[in-house]
Amino acid sequence: MEIVESAVRDEARQQAEEEALAALVDQYATTLYRVAFSVLRNQSDAEDAVQEAFLRVLRHRETLGEIRDHRVWLIRIVWNIVLDRKRRSKTRPETDDIADLSRVLPANGLTAEDRAAAAQHHAHVLSCVEQLPAREREVMMLSAFEELSSVEIASVLRVTESSVRSRLFRARNLLAELLHHKRSTR
Amino acid sequence: MSPLSIQNEFDRSAGALDAEDTLRLIASLPAPQGLEDRVKAGLHSAPHRAKIIVWPFSSVEGGRWMQSAGMRAAAAAAIVLVIAGGGWEVYSHIQPAALPTAVSSPQPLNGSGGFNAAGAKRVPQTPEGPVVATPVISKEKTQEGDGAVIPEKHKKRPTVMKSGGPIPVVR
Repeated sequence: MEIVESAVRDEARQQAEEEALAALVDQYATTLYRVAFSVLRNQSDAEDAVQEAFLRVLRHRETLGEIRDHRVWLIRIVWNIVLDRKRRSKTRPETDDIADLSRVLPANGLTAEDRAAAAQHHAHVLSCVEQLPAREREVMMLSAFEELSSVEIASVLRVTESSVRSRLFRARNLLAELLHHKRSTR
Repeated sequence: MSPLSIQNEFDRSAGALDAEDTLRLIASLPAPQGLEDRVKAGLHSAPHRAKIIVWPFSSVEGGRWMQSAGMRAAAAAAIVLVIAGGGWEVYSHIQPAALPTAVSSPQPLNGSGGFNAAGAKRVPQTPEGPVVATPVISKEKTQEGDGAVIPEKHKKRPTVMKSGGPIPVVR
Protein backbone atom coordinates (compact mmCIF):
# COMPACT_ATOMS: atom_id res chain seq x y z
CA MET A 1 0.00 0.00 0.00
CA GLU A 2 2.87 2.23 0.92
CA ILE A 3 4.56 1.45 -2.40
CA VAL A 4 1.51 2.46 -4.37
CA GLU A 5 1.38 5.75 -2.48
CA SER A 6 5.08 6.37 -3.17
CA ALA A 7 4.64 5.65 -6.88
CA VAL A 8 1.69 8.01 -7.03
CA ARG A 9 3.73 10.65 -5.20
CA ASP A 10 6.64 10.26 -7.63
CA GLU A 11 4.34 10.52 -10.59
CA ALA A 12 2.67 13.62 -9.19
CA ARG A 13 6.05 15.20 -8.49
CA GLN A 14 7.24 14.45 -12.02
CA GLN A 15 4.09 15.92 -13.48
CA ALA A 16 4.51 19.05 -11.37
CA GLU A 17 8.08 19.43 -12.56
CA GLU A 18 7.02 19.04 -16.18
CA GLU A 19 4.33 21.64 -15.72
CA ALA A 20 6.78 24.03 -14.12
CA LEU A 21 9.20 23.51 -17.00
CA ALA A 22 6.44 24.07 -19.56
CA ALA A 23 5.54 27.29 -17.78
CA LEU A 24 9.17 28.42 -17.95
CA VAL A 25 9.23 27.68 -21.69
CA ASP A 26 6.05 29.68 -22.24
CA GLN A 27 7.32 32.57 -20.19
CA TYR A 28 10.98 32.87 -21.22
CA ALA A 29 11.58 31.09 -24.53
CA THR A 30 11.15 34.33 -26.50
CA THR A 31 13.54 36.26 -24.27
CA LEU A 32 16.12 33.51 -24.46
CA TYR A 33 15.75 33.37 -28.23
CA ARG A 34 16.39 37.11 -28.53
CA VAL A 35 19.48 36.85 -26.32
CA ALA A 36 20.75 33.96 -28.40
CA PHE A 37 20.01 35.70 -31.68
CA SER A 38 21.80 38.88 -30.64
CA VAL A 39 25.02 36.89 -30.34
CA LEU A 40 24.64 34.20 -33.01
CA ARG A 41 22.59 36.26 -35.50
CA ASN A 42 21.16 33.14 -37.06
CA GLN A 43 17.60 31.94 -36.48
CA SER A 44 18.16 28.20 -36.42
CA ASP A 45 21.32 28.48 -34.30
CA ALA A 46 19.48 30.69 -31.81
CA GLU A 47 16.59 28.24 -31.63
CA ASP A 48 19.01 25.36 -31.06
CA ALA A 49 20.61 27.32 -28.24
CA VAL A 50 17.23 27.86 -26.57
CA GLN A 51 16.45 24.17 -26.90
CA GLU A 52 19.79 23.26 -25.34
CA ALA A 53 19.21 25.69 -22.48
CA PHE A 54 15.89 24.09 -21.59
CA LEU A 55 17.38 20.62 -21.88
CA ARG A 56 19.95 21.66 -19.29
CA VAL A 57 17.13 22.87 -17.09
CA LEU A 58 15.38 19.54 -17.54
CA ARG A 59 18.51 17.70 -16.39
CA HIS A 60 18.72 19.84 -13.25
CA ARG A 61 15.02 20.33 -12.64
CA GLU A 62 15.37 19.19 -9.03
CA THR A 63 17.14 22.49 -8.35
CA LEU A 64 14.37 24.62 -9.84
CA GLY A 65 12.93 25.29 -6.42
CA GLU A 66 16.22 26.74 -5.19
CA ILE A 67 16.44 29.36 -7.94
CA ARG A 68 15.39 32.82 -6.86
CA ASP A 69 15.23 34.58 -10.23
CA HIS A 70 14.41 32.16 -13.01
CA ARG A 71 14.72 34.78 -15.74
CA VAL A 72 18.29 35.79 -14.92
CA TRP A 73 19.23 32.18 -14.29
CA LEU A 74 17.89 31.10 -17.70
CA ILE A 75 19.53 34.05 -19.45
CA ARG A 76 22.85 33.10 -17.85
CA ILE A 77 22.46 29.52 -19.11
CA VAL A 78 21.66 30.54 -22.66
CA TRP A 79 24.34 33.23 -22.57
CA ASN A 80 27.00 30.66 -21.70
CA ILE A 81 25.72 28.34 -24.42
CA VAL A 82 25.81 30.99 -27.14
CA LEU A 83 29.23 32.26 -26.11
CA ASP A 84 30.55 28.74 -26.24
CA ARG A 85 29.03 28.19 -29.68
CA LYS A 86 30.34 31.51 -30.93
CA ARG A 87 33.84 30.66 -29.70
CA ARG A 88 33.76 27.38 -31.58
CA SER A 89 32.37 28.80 -34.79
CA LYS A 90 34.27 31.08 -37.10
CA THR A 91 33.64 34.79 -37.19
CA ARG A 92 30.65 35.69 -39.31
CA PRO A 93 31.47 37.68 -42.41
CA GLU A 94 29.68 40.99 -42.80
CA THR A 95 27.94 39.81 -45.98
CA ASP A 96 26.18 37.07 -43.99
CA ASP A 97 24.98 39.66 -41.52
CA ILE A 98 23.62 41.86 -44.29
CA ALA A 99 21.75 38.97 -45.89
CA ASP A 100 20.30 37.71 -42.63
CA LEU A 101 19.40 41.15 -41.34
CA SER A 102 17.62 42.14 -44.53
CA ARG A 103 15.49 39.03 -44.07
CA VAL A 104 14.57 39.59 -40.44
CA LEU A 105 14.43 43.39 -40.14
CA PRO A 106 10.91 44.81 -39.95
CA ALA A 107 9.73 46.32 -43.20
CA ASN A 108 7.92 49.37 -41.70
CA GLY A 109 6.84 50.52 -45.13
CA LEU A 110 10.39 50.76 -46.45
CA THR A 111 11.26 50.01 -50.02
CA ALA A 112 13.50 47.06 -50.85
CA GLU A 113 16.39 49.44 -51.47
CA ASP A 114 15.93 51.19 -48.15
CA ARG A 115 15.80 47.87 -46.37
CA ALA A 116 19.00 46.75 -48.06
CA ALA A 117 20.70 50.01 -47.10
CA ALA A 118 19.50 49.70 -43.51
CA ALA A 119 20.71 46.12 -43.34
CA GLN A 120 24.10 47.18 -44.64
CA HIS A 121 24.33 49.96 -42.06
CA HIS A 122 23.40 47.62 -39.20
CA ALA A 123 25.84 44.99 -40.39
CA HIS A 124 28.57 47.62 -40.46
CA VAL A 125 27.75 48.64 -36.89
CA LEU A 126 27.76 45.02 -35.78
CA SER A 127 31.17 44.48 -37.33
CA CYS A 128 32.43 47.39 -35.21
CA VAL A 129 30.83 45.84 -32.11
CA GLU A 130 32.67 42.60 -32.92
CA GLN A 131 35.96 44.48 -32.74
CA LEU A 132 35.39 45.49 -29.13
CA PRO A 133 37.19 43.56 -26.39
CA ALA A 134 35.12 40.61 -25.18
CA ARG A 135 34.23 42.06 -21.77
CA GLU A 136 33.05 45.38 -23.15
CA ARG A 137 31.22 43.73 -26.03
CA GLU A 138 29.31 41.38 -23.74
CA VAL A 139 28.16 44.19 -21.48
CA MET A 140 27.13 46.31 -24.44
CA MET A 141 25.11 43.50 -26.02
CA LEU A 142 23.30 42.67 -22.81
CA SER A 143 22.58 46.33 -22.10
CA ALA A 144 20.63 46.45 -25.36
CA PHE A 145 17.96 44.33 -23.69
CA GLU A 146 15.70 46.83 -22.06
CA GLU A 147 14.27 44.31 -19.66
CA LEU A 148 17.70 43.72 -18.11
CA SER A 149 18.88 46.12 -15.43
CA SER A 150 22.55 46.67 -14.69
CA VAL A 151 22.19 44.52 -11.55
CA GLU A 152 20.78 41.68 -13.65
CA ILE A 153 23.53 42.07 -16.26
CA ALA A 154 26.04 41.85 -13.42
CA SER A 155 24.34 38.70 -12.21
CA VAL A 156 24.42 37.12 -15.67
CA LEU A 157 28.10 37.93 -16.13
CA ARG A 158 28.95 37.20 -12.46
CA VAL A 159 30.62 40.56 -11.94
CA THR A 160 29.83 43.55 -9.80
CA GLU A 161 27.41 46.22 -10.89
CA SER A 162 30.13 48.89 -10.82
CA SER A 163 32.26 46.89 -13.23
CA VAL A 164 29.25 46.60 -15.54
CA ARG A 165 28.94 50.36 -15.53
CA SER A 166 32.62 50.96 -16.14
CA ARG A 167 32.73 48.37 -18.93
CA LEU A 168 29.71 49.94 -20.56
CA PHE A 169 31.33 53.36 -20.41
CA ARG A 170 34.52 52.01 -22.02
CA ALA A 171 32.51 50.11 -24.63
CA ARG A 172 30.62 53.25 -25.69
CA ASN A 173 33.83 55.24 -26.05
CA LEU A 174 35.60 52.52 -27.98
CA LEU A 175 32.64 51.98 -30.26
CA ALA A 176 32.35 55.68 -30.97
CA GLU A 177 36.02 55.80 -31.88
CA LEU A 178 35.75 52.78 -34.13
CA LEU A 179 32.75 54.15 -35.98
CA HIS A 180 34.33 57.58 -36.31
CA HIS A 181 37.55 56.04 -37.62
CA LYS A 182 35.67 53.96 -40.19
CA ARG A 183 33.67 56.95 -41.35
CA SER A 184 36.77 59.10 -41.75
CA THR A 185 38.58 56.38 -43.74
CA ARG A 186 35.65 55.83 -46.11
CA MET B 1 36.90 74.05 -27.41
CA SER B 2 36.79 74.83 -31.10
CA PRO B 3 33.57 74.36 -33.08
CA LEU B 4 35.26 71.64 -35.15
CA SER B 5 36.15 69.56 -32.12
CA ILE B 6 32.65 70.05 -30.72
CA GLN B 7 31.29 68.82 -34.01
CA ASN B 8 33.64 65.80 -33.90
CA GLU B 9 32.58 64.98 -30.36
CA PHE B 10 28.96 65.27 -31.37
CA ASP B 11 29.53 62.95 -34.33
CA ARG B 12 31.22 60.40 -32.14
CA SER B 13 28.44 60.43 -29.57
CA ALA B 14 25.89 60.17 -32.34
CA GLY B 15 27.77 57.19 -33.75
CA ALA B 16 27.75 55.41 -30.41
CA LEU B 17 24.06 56.08 -29.95
CA ASP B 18 23.47 54.86 -33.47
CA ALA B 19 25.29 51.63 -32.66
CA GLU B 20 23.24 51.13 -29.53
CA ASP B 21 20.10 51.64 -31.58
CA THR B 22 21.22 48.85 -33.87
CA LEU B 23 21.86 46.53 -30.94
CA ARG B 24 18.48 47.41 -29.45
CA LEU B 25 16.78 46.74 -32.76
CA ILE B 26 18.36 43.29 -33.00
CA ALA B 27 17.58 42.56 -29.36
CA SER B 28 13.93 43.33 -29.97
CA LEU B 29 13.48 41.16 -33.05
CA PRO B 30 10.53 38.82 -32.56
CA ALA B 31 11.03 35.11 -32.05
CA PRO B 32 9.84 32.78 -34.81
CA GLN B 33 6.32 31.41 -34.61
CA GLY B 34 5.84 28.17 -32.71
CA LEU B 35 9.15 28.37 -30.88
CA GLU B 36 7.62 27.34 -27.55
CA ASP B 37 5.88 24.32 -29.07
CA ARG B 38 9.07 23.14 -30.73
CA VAL B 39 11.02 23.52 -27.50
CA LYS B 40 8.36 21.60 -25.56
CA ALA B 41 8.34 18.84 -28.18
CA GLY B 42 12.11 18.61 -27.86
CA LEU B 43 11.85 18.34 -24.09
CA HIS B 44 9.24 15.57 -24.35
CA SER B 45 11.42 13.53 -26.68
CA ALA B 46 14.50 13.94 -24.47
CA PRO B 47 15.33 11.13 -22.02
CA HIS B 48 13.87 12.17 -18.69
CA ARG B 49 15.82 10.37 -16.05
CA ALA B 50 18.93 8.27 -15.88
CA LYS B 51 18.16 4.59 -15.62
CA ILE B 52 19.01 3.04 -12.28
CA ILE B 53 20.04 -0.60 -12.19
CA VAL B 54 17.77 -2.38 -9.76
CA TRP B 55 19.16 -5.21 -7.63
CA PRO B 56 17.13 -8.16 -8.92
CA PHE B 57 17.06 -10.14 -5.66
CA SER B 58 15.90 -7.34 -3.45
CA SER B 59 12.40 -7.71 -2.17
CA VAL B 60 10.06 -4.81 -1.98
CA GLU B 61 10.57 -4.48 1.75
CA GLY B 62 14.29 -4.82 1.20
CA GLY B 63 14.18 -1.80 -1.02
CA ARG B 64 12.26 0.24 1.51
CA TRP B 65 14.37 -0.23 4.60
CA MET B 66 17.21 1.81 3.13
CA GLN B 67 14.98 4.85 3.05
CA SER B 68 15.30 5.20 6.81
CA ALA B 69 18.11 7.55 7.80
CA GLY B 70 19.10 5.47 10.84
CA MET B 71 19.43 2.29 8.79
CA ARG B 72 21.45 4.09 6.17
CA ALA B 73 23.84 5.34 8.85
CA ALA B 74 24.10 1.83 10.35
CA ALA B 75 24.86 0.34 6.93
CA ALA B 76 27.50 2.97 6.26
CA ALA B 77 29.08 2.33 9.68
CA ALA B 78 29.13 -1.41 9.00
CA ILE B 79 30.87 -0.86 5.67
CA VAL B 80 33.44 1.40 7.31
CA LEU B 81 34.06 -1.19 10.04
CA VAL B 82 34.55 -4.01 7.55
CA ILE B 83 36.98 -1.98 5.47
CA ALA B 84 38.91 -0.75 8.51
CA GLY B 85 39.04 -4.27 10.00
CA GLY B 86 40.32 -5.72 6.77
CA GLY B 87 42.96 -3.05 6.55
CA TRP B 88 44.09 -3.68 10.13
CA GLU B 89 44.20 -7.43 9.46
CA VAL B 90 46.51 -6.91 6.53
CA TYR B 91 48.62 -4.36 8.38
CA SER B 92 49.10 -6.50 11.47
CA HIS B 93 50.39 -9.47 9.44
CA ILE B 94 53.05 -7.54 7.64
CA GLN B 95 56.46 -7.79 9.32
CA PRO B 96 58.81 -5.13 8.20
CA ALA B 97 62.13 -6.42 6.91
CA ALA B 98 65.26 -5.60 8.95
CA LEU B 99 67.03 -2.63 7.63
CA PRO B 100 70.57 -3.28 6.39
CA THR B 101 73.25 -1.80 8.62
CA ALA B 102 75.54 -0.88 5.77
CA VAL B 103 75.07 -0.62 2.11
CA SER B 104 78.09 -1.29 -0.06
CA SER B 105 78.15 0.13 -3.45
CA PRO B 106 80.94 -0.12 -6.01
CA GLN B 107 82.93 2.97 -6.43
CA PRO B 108 83.06 4.43 -9.85
CA LEU B 109 86.38 4.00 -11.64
CA ASN B 110 86.43 7.50 -12.88
CA GLY B 111 84.83 10.47 -11.36
CA SER B 112 82.97 11.48 -14.46
CA GLY B 113 80.06 9.16 -13.73
CA GLY B 114 78.24 7.14 -16.30
CA PHE B 115 78.69 3.43 -16.83
CA ASN B 116 81.79 1.53 -15.80
CA ALA B 117 83.02 -2.03 -16.11
CA ALA B 118 83.00 -2.59 -12.33
CA GLY B 119 86.50 -4.07 -12.45
CA ALA B 120 85.75 -6.65 -15.10
CA LYS B 121 88.40 -7.32 -17.76
CA ARG B 122 87.49 -8.19 -21.21
CA VAL B 123 89.30 -11.19 -22.59
CA PRO B 124 88.75 -11.62 -26.29
CA GLN B 125 87.76 -15.05 -27.43
CA THR B 126 90.29 -16.30 -29.95
CA PRO B 127 89.33 -19.35 -31.98
CA GLU B 128 91.83 -22.21 -32.10
CA GLY B 129 93.38 -22.29 -35.51
CA PRO B 130 94.87 -25.31 -37.38
CA VAL B 131 97.91 -26.75 -35.72
CA VAL B 132 100.75 -27.58 -38.09
CA ALA B 133 102.54 -30.66 -36.87
CA THR B 134 106.25 -30.63 -37.45
CA PRO B 135 107.39 -33.93 -39.00
CA VAL B 136 109.61 -35.97 -36.74
CA ILE B 137 112.42 -37.69 -38.61
CA SER B 138 113.84 -40.68 -36.89
CA LYS B 139 117.52 -41.49 -36.94
CA GLU B 140 117.05 -44.87 -38.67
CA LYS B 141 115.46 -43.33 -41.75
CA THR B 142 118.05 -40.82 -42.15
CA GLN B 143 120.62 -43.54 -42.37
CA GLU B 144 118.95 -45.19 -45.44
CA GLY B 145 120.60 -44.94 -48.80
CA ASP B 146 118.22 -42.92 -50.91
CA GLY B 147 117.43 -40.71 -48.03
CA ALA B 148 113.66 -40.91 -48.66
CA VAL B 149 111.50 -40.83 -45.68
CA ILE B 150 109.28 -43.88 -45.39
CA PRO B 151 106.14 -43.31 -43.50
CA GLU B 152 105.74 -45.26 -40.36
CA LYS B 153 102.90 -47.46 -41.62
CA HIS B 154 104.83 -48.66 -44.66
CA LYS B 155 107.76 -49.77 -42.64
CA LYS B 156 108.50 -53.41 -42.38
CA ARG B 157 107.87 -54.64 -39.01
CA PRO B 158 110.08 -57.34 -37.66
CA THR B 159 108.07 -60.50 -37.13
CA VAL B 160 108.33 -61.42 -33.61
CA MET B 161 107.19 -64.72 -32.23
CA LYS B 162 105.20 -64.77 -29.20
CA SER B 163 107.89 -66.83 -27.65
CA GLY B 164 110.17 -63.99 -28.26
CA GLY B 165 112.46 -65.26 -31.09
CA PRO B 166 112.26 -64.51 -34.85
CA ILE B 167 110.13 -66.79 -37.11
CA PRO B 168 112.30 -68.91 -39.42
CA VAL B 169 111.68 -68.42 -43.11
CA VAL B 170 111.23 -71.66 -45.18
CA ARG B 171 112.52 -71.61 -48.77
